Amino acid sequence: MTIDDNRIEGYARALFEVARADGTLDEVEDELFRFARSYESSETLRTTLADEGIPAGKRQAIVEDLLGDSATPTTVQLISMVVGSGRASDLVAIVDALVQRASSAKNLEVAEVRSAVPLTDDQQARLKAAVANATGKQVNLKVVVDPSVVGGLVATVGDTVIDGTVRTKVEQLKARL
Amino acid sequence: MIAAVNSVLGQRITGGLLPQVEFDVDDQGVTSADPIFPPIWEIGLQTIAFAVIFWLIWKFGGPPIKKYYAGRTERIQREMDAAIAAKTEAEAEAARIRTSLGDIEAEREQIKAEAREQAASMLTEGRARLEVEVAELEERAVAEIASIAGRSGDELRGEITRHASRAVDVVVAESIDEAVHQQLIEDFISRVGSSGASAGTNGPGSTGA
Repeated sequence: MTIDDNRIEGYARALFEVARADGTLDEVEDELFRFARSYESSETLRTTLADEGIPAGKRQAIVEDLLGDSATPTTVQLISMVVGSGRASDLVAIVDALVQRASSAKNLEVAEVRSAVPLTDDQQARLKAAVANATGKQVNLKVVVDPSVVGGLVATVGDTVIDGTVRTKVEQLKARL
Repeated sequence: MIAAVNSVLGQRITGGLLPQVEFDVDDQGVTSADPIFPPIWEIGLQTIAFAVIFWLIWKFGGPPIKKYYAGRTERIQREMDAAIAAKTEAEAEAARIRTSLGDIEAEREQIKAEAREQAASMLTEGRARLEVEVAELEERAVAEIASIAGRSGDELRGEITRHASRAVDVVVAESIDEAVHQQLIEDFISRVGSSGASAGTNGPGSTGA
């Protein structure tokens, strides 16, 4: 494990402990996961929050303005803390490590599901059961709305990918062309 | 009058050596002497004078004249000999020139023959080389045409593929509405749920749901 890995793991452990002590681990974990996915897909957001030329206070203010009332105060404070400490470029890795740690603590496997449209609670529950049935593992389902999949779903559990997206079918069709 | 004339003539002829002859002239103007034949003594005297003059000429003028004619004969003979020699030399030169002309003609014929042979050889080689070059050009042109045709085919296929890809994107995007999204999600859940514990877990990669 490299120094960077150790640092990322350290941040993840700290965030995990703060959220668990606050009693909002599941909620914070979910909000962090969704923010990480948005952060990962937005180059402008990544560039801005990782820009050392912008004062830390201003970057933290951007995070607070961005999340506002849509996330718990704990989530906003944790992200603000990571950005303020100049680790914005590692934010995604830190959050993923946190989610992994939280899932491991509950003996769950993280199942990342990407969908072109939001899933209902009922769909998420049935999907969680279906993935657990398919992989033989209890999963911590994380749904990401990703329009690039065009339609359908793709689930990633560890090294296993279950792909039912229209994007993949279109790509296969294009490859045959 | 006549006496004066004779006097002058006598002086010119004899150089004043002969005695002056006097003629008597009568009243009718005719002399008593014979007008055609001079007196005998005059004839004898003039014969002696002639003999003396002849002897003097023969004595003093003969040798130079003989010498002159002998030299002239010798010079003419020398010139004739030189002319004969020149003629002989000219004939020899003419013979040499004729021989040389003959050699030149032979050499010219030989050069012409060699030139003809060389030209024929060059023509043959040129034709052969030209045929090879034409064959190479044809081969290259055929290959290039095939290459261009292939490229055109590839470009055409690429263009068709690009258009088809765009068409697929547009058609798929337009054909998926909310109902289709929900149907796709439900199909995925059903298939993953019915696949069992070992189904759809093929490791990294894509597994159709």
